[in-house]
Amino acid sequence: MNVFSPMVWLLAFRSLLQHRLFTSVLAAAIAFVTASLVAVTGISNGMRQTLLVSATTMMSGHVNVAGFYKSSASSSAPVVTGYKQLRELVTQELPELDYMVQRGRGWAKLISDTGSIQVGIGGIDIEREPGFRKVVILKDGTLDGLRQPDGVLLFEEQANKLGVKVGDRLTYVASTFKGTNNTLDVTVVAIATNIGMLSSWNTFINDQGLRRLYQLNDETTGALQVYLKDITQVNAVAERLRKVLGARGYELLDANPVAFWQKFDAVNRESWTGQKLDITTWEDETSFVKWFITLFTLLASLVTFLLVVVIGVGIMNVMWITIRERTREIGTLRAVGMQRSSVLSMFVTEGFLLGLIGTVAGGILGLVLSALLNSAQLVLPRGLQFIFLSEKLVVTPSAGWFVFAIVFITTTITLVSLVPSWLAARMKPVTAMSHVG
Amino acid sequence: MANSIVSIREVVKEYHLGQTVVPALRGVNLEVERGEFLSIAGPSGSGKTTLLNLIGCVDTATRGIVEVAGKDTAKLSERALTSLRLDTIGFIFQSFNLVSVLTVFQNVEFPLLLQNRLGANERKARVMQLLEQVGLATHAKHRPNELSGGQRQRVAVARALVTEPLIVLADEPTANLDSKTGQAIIDLMRSLNQQKGTTFIFSTHDFKVMEHANAVVRLADGKVLARETPQEAVQHVLGRREAAAEASVGAP
Repeated sequence: MNVFSPMVWLLAFRSLLQHRLFTSVLAAAIAFVTASLVAVTGISNGMRQTLLVSATTMMSGHVNVAGFYKSSASSSAPVVTGYKQLRELVTQELPELDYMVQRGRGWAKLISDTGSIQVGIGGIDIEREPGFRKVVILKDGTLDGLRQPDGVLLFEEQANKLGVKVGDRLTYVASTFKGTNNTLDVTVVAIATNIGMLSSWNTFINDQGLRRLYQLNDETTGALQVYLKDITQVNAVAERLRKVLGARGYELLDANPVAFWQKFDAVNRESWTGQKLDITTWEDETSFVKWFITLFTLLASLVTFLLVVVIGVGIMNVMWITIRERTREIGTLRAVGMQRSSVLSMFVTEGFLLGLIGTVAGGILGLVLSALLNSAQLVLPRGLQFIFLSEKLVVTPSAGWFVFAIVFITTTITLVSLVPSWLAARMKPVTAMSHVG
Repeated sequence: MANSIVSIREVVKEYHLGQTVVPALRGVNLEVERGEFLSIAGPSGSGKTTLLNLIGCVDTATRGIVEVAGKDTAKLSERALTSLRLDTIGFIFQSFNLVSVLTVFQNVEFPLLLQNRLGANERKARVMQLLEQVGLATHAKHRPNELSGGQRQRVAVARALVTEPLIVLADEPTANLDSKTGQAIIDLMRSLNQQKGTTFIFSTHDFKVMEHANAVVRLADGKVLARETPQEAVQHVLGRREAAAEASVGAP
């Protein structure tokens, strides 16, 4: 008789039913931990997806063909010259391409009548941005206002800091790539809902406006943002682009998985001048944000691990009590000819069943909880919006994590139940039968 | 003896309670023949249960030799001892010791599942035949807690016999039953002994139960006092009780 024997399963199932108070309490505790794990990983997954959507709309393509232009060894600008020719080449070489946009890149001081902030600037051609309208949710104004050369899109937090509303005038002050200062007067045409951390330092203006501010010609842009039909192809496509562009005579920076603005110091230390291209992925450009997600996932995993340990100790204790209560039964089963291994199988099966019932119930509870949290559209406090990369709590449980939670916790509980089960199996039949209690 | 199913020679069993050594059996010798219906009698603490535990291979002797079905139990591994119990010995306990979460049918079927030799249909046929014999075929789907004490003990008898063991050990099988039910259980055991030739060894201190045995082994203070007929054993028990009563009358 082993774990595959129907009688072992019957005994385990009926024993759990008979001790239904213990079973209920333990299954509820296991379900709570599993539901927590599913919900927490759902939040983590939600953060990741929000980051993907917002980052790939606001500051990066799936793959970016960007670069630096150096007029002297120590002065670099994040621009790509001759981008139209480059765009044609990329279009020809990438059958995986869904669409491509060009974005100007800049960093400037934005001044209102009542305050000023340092912000990034995205130069955008709103006519050619199919993804932008899907992600940016307007509080006021219209994105069509960005067709005007002096239109600017702000996010709610920025508008509040500057004390402006749609229609108000602002001024950008920036240092051009030639080293002189320049200004650009703009009009607020739209104010959008915050998209967490990424929206706190990004503003968007018409790409012609950006060129005027930085005194760039029509052949220059910040980056070609490439969007693929299948995002899982990102790394392969980036690698291929490096080879293709290198073969076509373009100078390329070595691959470095960080955001473009983190590369200035390194680029300025190099002695070359002219144009070098830099091929990056959306993960490279958001590497400075991803540590939030990693930290959150680690903390959540740590808390879940501690909960699993607490539950594991609880289960071991309760199994002890159960085994003490059933000592005479164990003695009887051993006396009538049940081998130690079968006793072990019986109790381990009980632990496994308990774990499975609890985790499946908890997993389903976690999914329901996630759905409820999503439908509640909970607005996060401002501090948390920064961390969660979203104004609202987004919980996206994945099938992989759901299965992992069930398998991991059930396995842990089964392993925990091995200890008391092994000791039960070691009992001498005569000792077990004479047990009083 | 050539026909012995159980052979016990100079067996000593001691229990250790901290520093104190408590002797339970002091040099017991006993031969049990196949097909016997043997009673082990004696007052509480005389060593009846210890002796049955040694024969049943659920405990080991401190010294001496215990042979069951020709095998020296001291030389067997734990696994082999468990197999010996499963295939050779049936147990009937004073407190019935049925598995509460299983039905009557499943309790009786359990040792057959452990043996894993018969198919489902054969198992069912054998279990139902035994339940018929003990008069509980109609209660096959009941749980033990739905039965009376006598019915539970009959289930225990069926469970003990289902593997067709050579020996059935019964420790005070009637102690928790009223006299009428106890009598019925002994009658059942006796008839099964006569029909199948199974060796029954049961402990008791009830002389009405002893009367049904074909031999009685009388124990006192861990020693075998005598192996005698039931009539002789009953006379000894009655004589000792009368002597005790006279002594108490004459006391100041």
